[in-house]
Amino acid sequence: MAEQNTLCMVEAINLALHRAMTDDPDVVVLGEDVGPNGGVFRATLGLHERFGFRRVMDTPLAETLITGIAVGMAAQGLRPVAEIQFMGFIYPGMEQLVSHASRLRSRTRGRLSCPMVIRTPHGAGIHAPEHHGESTEAMLAHVPGLRVVIPSSPRRAYGLLLAAIADPDPVIFLEPSRLYRSVRQPVADDGQPLPLDTCFTLREGSDLTLVSWGAALKETLEAAARLAEEGIDCEVIDVATLKPLDAETVLASVSKTGRCVVVHEAARSYGPGAEIAALVQEQLFHALQAPVQRVTGFDCVIPYARQEMAYLPDVESICRAALRTLEQAS
Amino acid sequence: MPLTVQIPFTRYLDDQGQPQGDLPGWVDDPPLLLQLYRQMNLVRLFDQKCVALQRTGQIGTYASTLGQEAVGTALGRAMTDADVLIPYYRDTATQLQRGVQMQDILLYWGGDERGSAWSAPAAVEDFPICVPIATQACHACGVAAAFRIRQQPRVAVTTCGDGATSKGDFLESLNLAGVWQLPVVFVVNNNQWAISVPRCLQSAAPTLAHKALAAGIPGEQVDGNDVLAVYDRVRTAIERARAGKGPTLIECVTYRLGDHTTSDDASRYRSAEELSEAWKREPLGRLQRFLHQQGLWDEAQEQRLHRELGEQINAAVEAFRALAEPESSAPFDHLYQQLPAGYAPQRDQWLERAGRLAGGEHG
Amino acid sequence: MKQFRLPDLGEGLQEAEIIEWHVQPGDTVEVDQLLVSVETAKAIVEVPSPRAGVVSRCFGAPGDLLHVGSPLVEFEGPAEDSGTVVGSLGQAAGHSDLAADDFIIGAAPSSRAARAVRAAPRARQLAERLGVALDTLQGSGTDGLITEEDVQRAAAGPDGGEAVRSVRRSMARNMARAHAEVVPVTLVEDADLHLWPSGQRDPMVRLARAIARACLAEPALNVAFDGVRMSLVRHQQVDLGVAVDTPDGLFVPVLRDVANRDAEDLRAGLDRLRADVLNRSIPPRELMGATITLSNYGTLFGRYASPVVVPPQVAIVGAGVIRDQVVAVDGQPVVHRILPLSLTVDHRAVTGGEAARFLKALVTDLQLAE
Repeated sequence: MAEQNTLCMVEAINLALHRAMTDDPDVVVLGEDVGPNGGVFRATLGLHERFGFRRVMDTPLAETLITGIAVGMAAQGLRPVAEIQFMGFIYPGMEQLVSHASRLRSRTRGRLSCPMVIRTPHGAGIHAPEHHGESTEAMLAHVPGLRVVIPSSPRRAYGLLLAAIADPDPVIFLEPSRLYRSVRQPVADDGQPLPLDTCFTLREGSDLTLVSWGAALKETLEAAARLAEEGIDCEVIDVATLKPLDAETVLASVSKTGRCVVVHEAARSYGPGAEIAALVQEQLFHALQAPVQRVTGFDCVIPYARQEMAYLPDVESICRAALRTLEQAS
Repeated sequence: MPLTVQIPFTRYLDDQGQPQGDLPGWVDDPPLLLQLYRQMNLVRLFDQKCVALQRTGQIGTYASTLGQEAVGTALGRAMTDADVLIPYYRDTATQLQRGVQMQDILLYWGGDERGSAWSAPAAVEDFPICVPIATQACHACGVAAAFRIRQQPRVAVTTCGDGATSKGDFLESLNLAGVWQLPVVFVVNNNQWAISVPRCLQSAAPTLAHKALAAGIPGEQVDGNDVLAVYDRVRTAIERARAGKGPTLIECVTYRLGDHTTSDDASRYRSAEELSEAWKREPLGRLQRFLHQQGLWDEAQEQRLHRELGEQINAAVEAFRALAEPESSAPFDHLYQQLPAGYAPQRDQWLERAGRLAGGEHG
Repeated sequence: MKQFRLPDLGEGLQEAEIIEWHVQPGDTVEVDQLLVSVETAKAIVEVPSPRAGVVSRCFGAPGDLLHVGSPLVEFEGPAEDSGTVVGSLGQAAGHSDLAADDFIIGAAPSSRAARAVRAAPRARQLAERLGVALDTLQGSGTDGLITEEDVQRAAAGPDGGEAVRSVRRSMARNMARAHAEVVPVTLVEDADLHLWPSGQRDPMVRLARAIARACLAEPALNVAFDGVRMSLVRHQQVDLGVAVDTPDGLFVPVLRDVANRDAEDLRAGLDRLRADVLNRSIPPRELMGATITLSNYGTLFGRYASPVVVPPQVAIVGAGVIRDQVVAVDGQPVVHRILPLSLTVDHRAVTGGEAARFLKALVTDLQLAE
């Protein structure tokens, strides 16, 4: 019987790392401050003590390097889990992700491959300085050959991270920092991965489909509860793996409800919501009873801490978008 | 503040092939010397053939190794089968020495990914040609870190040009290699030109090997046109790394006798005089003269060698031309280990469109 | 905080000498409790505790010089870990949100089972307008797509023919519903109009008044009956629904409070209603709330009828064509003007006796000279 603790998301991530490193000697962890400090968010707490510098490495301050050596390690069959301290600092590593991690398998026709994971906190709402609140997952999702995974609960963070580490291809694991400690729930250390490339349905409903991921699901679920009080029954879908997208689940849901609202923190234009909206209207044009709505971050530079909460989609905006889909008179 | 640190420089044969001082003991090995000489000739002739194939539209852009045959041949020979090469894009000599087939090289430059899917046993874990400058240095550190983590007596060898030493990836990699004491050897092919930018505009460091100092690792220079010097110093560095004594930076000082690539015209930015001066120092001539002196080589063997190499090269080109078209679905088959179901429609569309193009239709 | 450092003492002073400790390791202190006296270049300053806690360590002895920012006092207890290096993370509040993670992998069962109703947007709009339910249709387009033609055909019915719209549609619906609910009983009688002034042909105003008086005599026919809840409401006034035949169909505007209006007022009201109906300017409000209805088909043709009672009303009066007829007066044949009347009541709410009494009162009033 697997031990069950009540954990918040960062603790669940930590648990998954301990589990993965125990079960597979090829799993190694690297990044800035991941060793004795346990990671600036404590995600790697206790790993260095258990597994030593050989497998839990503090790197110099160099994101290009961190991402690049992960490529080299992965090509040798290790399973590196590299931490980039904040998504705002992933950009120096973009070249290694876009030019190498995503292409090594294709470039060598499968002779070499890249089973690496980049973990990074992302998203606004923790009142941190500039650049610590990025949500630019669209940039990564656009790259063929990468996987982009975003958990929204402690239990699912555990299962998805195990799956990401076990996956034979590169995975970018974006951790919503706003959710790191906001919710506690039972998480069994059962070593069981959850499926990647699969959405999760968090609430079954028949009137309209709300699609979201990461921290925005908090407001999305609250909106669904508020709408339920008005007799509107929402289905809520957690995308979880942004790329490759599980279109089947989203389409099955909108096929039933005929109405879709996508909620994401990332900026509106060219955001992932546009992809989902395009997919839905392409496949379900004749089943739709209203246009697909997007409730998103703004197309402005993310404000500093004082105004950052206004940037994020709130419960009111989500409810209004939902009501718009219901009001659409023929 | 003047930099007074002395960087060691190694040269055993001068421009004319005359030994300078005592030669290391291992030089007394005729089969080795002859293999190095034959291989450098193969590289030069094959390289010429590649340029010709590009000029006749049979392969795409190609980066010639003319004048730098000693660097790749020597370092390729100094590596063992257990070691891993993480090259840049001017490593035809190294790759051939590691057992990569000529037709693989033609496939790569011919725009076919199968050219990196070789199965040569020594090279099976080697990285493919790397275009984004210096990014391979980070990969090499990752490979070396894997060797350390698994406590394997293996070494990562990575190459780059003089221009690459300016890039962040290179410097970050040296730094990490030093602080983690990684089993990696950085071989810099300083052929004096980064496309049209000469060495003097690339860095104020007196030698590129000086960059090792900032990383706290040993750095040295060799005469890159002296195959004996390159072989000696690279092999020493590899064995040092294998013994757990850490990384080394070796700067091979040579000259790019050809253009940057077949799309470049070096006469736009360098003089004919400089070029003809550089030809006097080229690596094949000096080894040939040394071998003659040692009584190990003569004109008849030279003729025979060229004939044999010519036949080998032609056979390789024929094999390349005879190869079937690549598998149509390859871009999707190797996108992930297992293609997610949602991609099936795109894969089908791709096959259909690729099929139309193969059938000669356009658009 | 675990360690309290010597705070900025103001005025750019960077150092202070410890004069005297007021606490020692092991002491429990409160907020603002004085910890130590220090001397700066300018004055002796008392330093208060920033928090409550147990002192575990005091840094420095009397006479020692401390710099601003160097440790002064350490408190017992674990170093608080903020769990972040920038900003602040919202913590789960106490024991809330401990519910287990609830999720379905992939699509919900009802979504898996769903089959979308596929209709082009214009077809949807048309269906909405014509009152056609999409999920009852078989689409003739690709993959069962419902087209505008499909919607048109469904609206018209199985044998073709034109779609029934608006007014006639309402009539069809309402009559069907009435038929389903009401238990009709019809009583007929004639009113002898020989006492009416000669030349008076239009009985509308007299009928309105007569109905009002009959309601007074027999209020059981001026009620609203709810057959589901089995309740009835007795109306305070008589609002008479007046059937008006138009080229577009049957309209029934309402003449309000006929019992309290004089003949002229009733006449004016009737004329206005008829005019508004005919030019389709009558507001929907004016078509609602009749407590009892009059159908004067006598303007057209016919003698007796069994007009339809429309719930929640319980009665409807039908008036046929006024005609000359031979009647018996004192055993002798004479020609009198006769107005044929039909009364239908909903027997769920109205008895035969109530209907008969109402009809008698109606006829009696109509037979008056004025």
